[in-house]
Amino acid sequence: MSAKPDRKDDTAIIIKDLVKRFEDVIAVDGLTLEIKQGEIFSLLGPNGAGKTTTINILCGILKPTKGTAFIRGRDVAKNLKEIRALIGLCPQEAAVFKFLNARENIELFGDLHAIPKKESRRRTDMLLGLLDLAKTSNKKASGYSGGMLRKLNLAVALVSDPMIAFLDEPTVGMDPRARRATWEFIGSLKNQGKTIILTTHYIEEAEALSDRVGIIDYGKLIELGTPKKLMEKHEAKNLEEVFLKITGRRILEGL
Amino acid sequence: MNFQGLIALVEMELKKLVRQPANLFLTLLFPAVLTLMFGVVFGDPEMGMDMNLVIPGLIVYACIFMIMTIAQSFSAERQEGLLKRMSTTPMTSSEFMGSQIITNMLTAILQVIIVFVLAVFVGFRPNGGVGGIFLAFPIVALFSLSSVGLGLITATVSKTPEVATGISFVFILPQMFFGTFIPLTNTTRQIAVFIPSYYVVDALSLIFAGDWTNSNILLDTGLISIVSVIIVIIGVLLFEKYGNA
Repeated sequence: MSAKPDRKDDTAIIIKDLVKRFEDVIAVDGLTLEIKQGEIFSLLGPNGAGKTTTINILCGILKPTKGTAFIRGRDVAKNLKEIRALIGLCPQEAAVFKFLNARENIELFGDLHAIPKKESRRRTDMLLGLLDLAKTSNKKASGYSGGMLRKLNLAVALVSDPMIAFLDEPTVGMDPRARRATWEFIGSLKNQGKTIILTTHYIEEAEALSDRVGIIDYGKLIELGTPKKLMEKHEAKNLEEVFLKITGRRILEGL
Repeated sequence: MNFQGLIALVEMELKKLVRQPANLFLTLLFPAVLTLMFGVVFGDPEMGMDMNLVIPGLIVYACIFMIMTIAQSFSAERQEGLLKRMSTTPMTSSEFMGSQIITNMLTAILQVIIVFVLAVFVGFRPNGGVGGIFLAFPIVALFSLSSVGLGLITATVSKTPEVATGISFVFILPQMFFGTFIPLTNTTRQIAVFIPSYYVVDALSLIFAGDWTNSNILLDTGLISIVSVIIVIIGVLLFEKYGNA
């Protein structure tokens, strides 16, 4: 693979002037951003802010109207096949095959990533154990609770051991205990050197997990920094207050 | 080529067929029940039905219903975000579509076996002997390509599986009335010549009647191949451009 001009060894993602327009709506409006390798980066914002659209562009699901984005130096508009080998996506909806059991679902996605069977089985066992799904791994996903489906959704995203994981609202629908356990799990991924791009509208989640937070509203990046620095800068107790001080609205207002 | 992924998708599709009762019924049980019923009701020579025409018609009938199951399946997977998720894996769209084609060819062959075995069970004895079954496999497998294509076209224009069910009848009904087991008049035959399933029934009828050397078998097969390949290409292109999101 040839090195691209935008590639920096410690840079996982570079986004430049990214715009996505859906007819009259501008979902992403001139987003420029760099995310480092090994960082947990949260895109925080209300529903409809452009978080999922940004992730969909980075994963090659949507084409940008304008601007460019690079994943480990590879242009998302040109090098999708290479990029797909580097990333794992945990979409907002629990996108798993309901007639397959948890193990079959995870192993299927291992096969789609062409991971050797033995390794795929090892990773599946590990993920089932870490996400507390081992005991129900032979149960069809259609019999899973909402929280279990979210965990399975996450496991499927990680079976390929991706260098960069996009987690789009990964804990929606989980009870507080499962949410905390999932946070711990996501935190452990950082220790493995993975880059995590997390979208969330849970303030606590962004504060607990993120190295840096990008606050996004109406498709624009309106603030960027570590949670601590953002709170200091805006003399706020939490990121919710930061958002309130910048926009005059609460993040959860739209929900 | 990621053969591992392709095989895994075929396995997944076959599990879907077996584990989802509606799919299992429409694809395998429905043709089985119909064959038994037709065999019992019309198998008696006094009824005046030519079983050499009815059995090919039933085989085709089963295959055209795949349009509905394929359309439902794609619409549901799109609605559930599964297509989007699979598109972020290194699998190419041709590998993905290849898995669909293989699965549905296998299903079509299975349908031929089920209908044929049950037809023999209720007394059907093809004039050309049971060897004709081996010629029926490739013909129906080729025809199944058109069902995949029409299923994809249906899924492209349908937002939900429910809508897909309704729209699929646009393609199912003409084939059902003009190219299965329903006897044709001189007038309806003029319409039937534009329906792909008509040529499958024609070829299979000649085979089961023992008219192996009839050049129409080759002509029918050629026509089915060309039309099916064109339809599946149109289906894949339309679905990839407009139906995947």
